[in-house]
Amino acid sequence: MRSITAYCQISEDACYVNGDVVAQKNEENPDSWFKQLYKDLAIEYPKFYKMDMLSQAGFLGSEFIKQTYPGLISSYAEDEVALLFANSESSADTDIRFKESYQDKGSPSPSLFVYTLPNIVLGELAIRNKFYGENMFAVLPKFAPDFFLQYGQIMFETGSKAVLAGWLGILEGKVEVSVFLIEQNKPDGLQFNKQNVIKCASPDDQA
Amino acid sequence: MDSLKEDLKKHIIEELNLEDLQVSDIDDDALLFSADGVGLDSIDALELIVLMEKFYGIQVTNPDEGKEAFLTINTMADYIEKKKS
Repeated sequence: MRSITAYCQISEDACYVNGDVVAQKNEENPDSWFKQLYKDLAIEYPKFYKMDMLSQAGFLGSEFIKQTYPGLISSYAEDEVALLFANSESSADTDIRFKESYQDKGSPSPSLFVYTLPNIVLGELAIRNKFYGENMFAVLPKFAPDFFLQYGQIMFETGSKAVLAGWLGILEGKVEVSVFLIEQNKPDGLQFNKQNVIKCASPDDQA
Repeated sequence: MDSLKEDLKKHIIEELNLEDLQVSDIDDDALLFSADGVGLDSIDALELIVLMEKFYGIQVTNPDEGKEAFLTINTMADYIEKKKS
């Protein structure tokens, strides 16, 4: 039996873990919303500041899950945690900023260029957590729970013991982020089925 | 020279998104690309090349020259001074 044992959702003004609000955007704080969340985590990972918003979204979602479930890193071998992410905007948010860097500001920014692929977030998560299992980032027309169910099943059947999955909707201020952990043989959690994937992963009613 | 070094540090912090660092955290002789120093990486090296052209009008085209110039804030400031004179 496979279960969703933890999930984190981040909207434009709130962050939820397992359905409970853990942080709300402070409009008076000059820091960006994601920077506020990073500071709430009280961790030191300076590379966070260099990431684009897509990678920051995956990073924040996974870190909030890790705080809820500290055993995530120690429970599995490096190649047993698979990564399964998707969105419908690819890396367009950063692509636009990169285009502006050479069209409007005169010089292409190398640090923006390296984030002009959506699967870079998987590399960031792998580096941070030593998750060296299977990984996939799909760009889909819209949120598709069946994608997570079917591809997740393949990952488990080919040796993964856990799957960290997520929908990372980031584009020009829009924030629709969900990250969830799927595990096997865990008594707690929500059954890994379509209804619960929608509950945990879909940030709104777009499914 | 001191104000040039201060400017350099400000630009580096801003352009390389080193938001956890203050100007005062970067020693003039700290190795920029060492984990014991500032801890910059290869992408940061490219940003430094862009920064040199953008703020100081200097094109770093010779990799060996850049390697030496980007060792520390001191070597960067020396390089800028030399190129401008």
